Amino acid sequence: MLHPELLRRLCQTRDWLREDAEPRPSVSEVARRAGIAPHHFIRLFRAVFGETPHRYRSLARIERAKELLIVTGQSVTDVCMAVGFSSLGSFSSLFTRRVGLSPSAWQRKHRPAGGRLRAMPPELIPGCLKLRASIPAKKAIPKKPAERRPAELAAIPT
Amino acid sequence: MKIKLNSIMVENQEKALDFYTRVLGFKKSKDIPAGEFRWITLVSPEGHPDVELALEPNANPDGKAFQEAMFKQGIPFAAFEVDDIEAEAKRLKAASVKFTMDPESMGSEKLAVFADTCGNLIQIYQPTGK
Repeated sequence: MLHPELLRRLCQTRDWLREDAEPRPSVSEVARRAGIAPHHFIRLFRAVFGETPHRYRSLARIERAKELLIVTGQSVTDVCMAVGFSSLGSFSSLFTRRVGLSPSAWQRKHRPAGGRLRAMPPELIPGCLKLRASIPAKKAIPKKPAERRPAELAAIPT
Repeated sequence: MKIKLNSIMVENQEKALDFYTRVLGFKKSKDIPAGEFRWITLVSPEGHPDVELALEPNANPDGKAFQEAMFKQGIPFAAFEVDDIEAEAKRLKAASVKFTMDPESMGSEKLAVFADTCGNLIQIYQPTGK
């Protein structure tokens, strides 16, 4: 069982992995700060948050890049460096796999030409009901839910 | 007015679908592309087939901040009922699920809490009636 103090420290490591200012700590530096042996830290982080610390950090940087590409209009190379990737190739391929568009295609699609944005456009901030509203009703809502009731419940009035 | 749909925010919809079906044992009900994301709902094979849980992306920064704050405080985001909490806890631990609270009797229930690998703590409870 995870002790509450260990849980608290693991939560802190997420913040450290997302740190945006140089010098950005390495995964082993983050483990050291949390007082957890690096090997154990990687296994524990993955079991709790579903990703290795390294991948978690990369994905957090991609999320940050999505925003910077739209809001600041900086070049793909500048954004790649700004979020902490050292290789444009690995940045672009991870971005494309994760987002489904290359960084430049993403920027072209969502940044209005010559326009200025202060924040991510609302259509890129999903909510549960907004998602539901965006799909055809006949797919989202079963036509006759009563038909799907199991036989043992059929006698109970709806 | 009926309660038929609830949602839980998840870090990664694809991984969440895998965890909630393969590890927890829910069944996929709907999986429909919705722009960048997907409308994914689950049902419980042991529960009512019309009650669904949506796996909602946590891409909204405010939602994510709320989710992380709850997690940090050790507060579960959702609770699911089980018939045998000891057996469930044993089964989930064997699948490398990390618990923040082992099964413990509290009033008329036995409770346990685990991390769902998607950014949430989930409580399971077994009514004991004692």
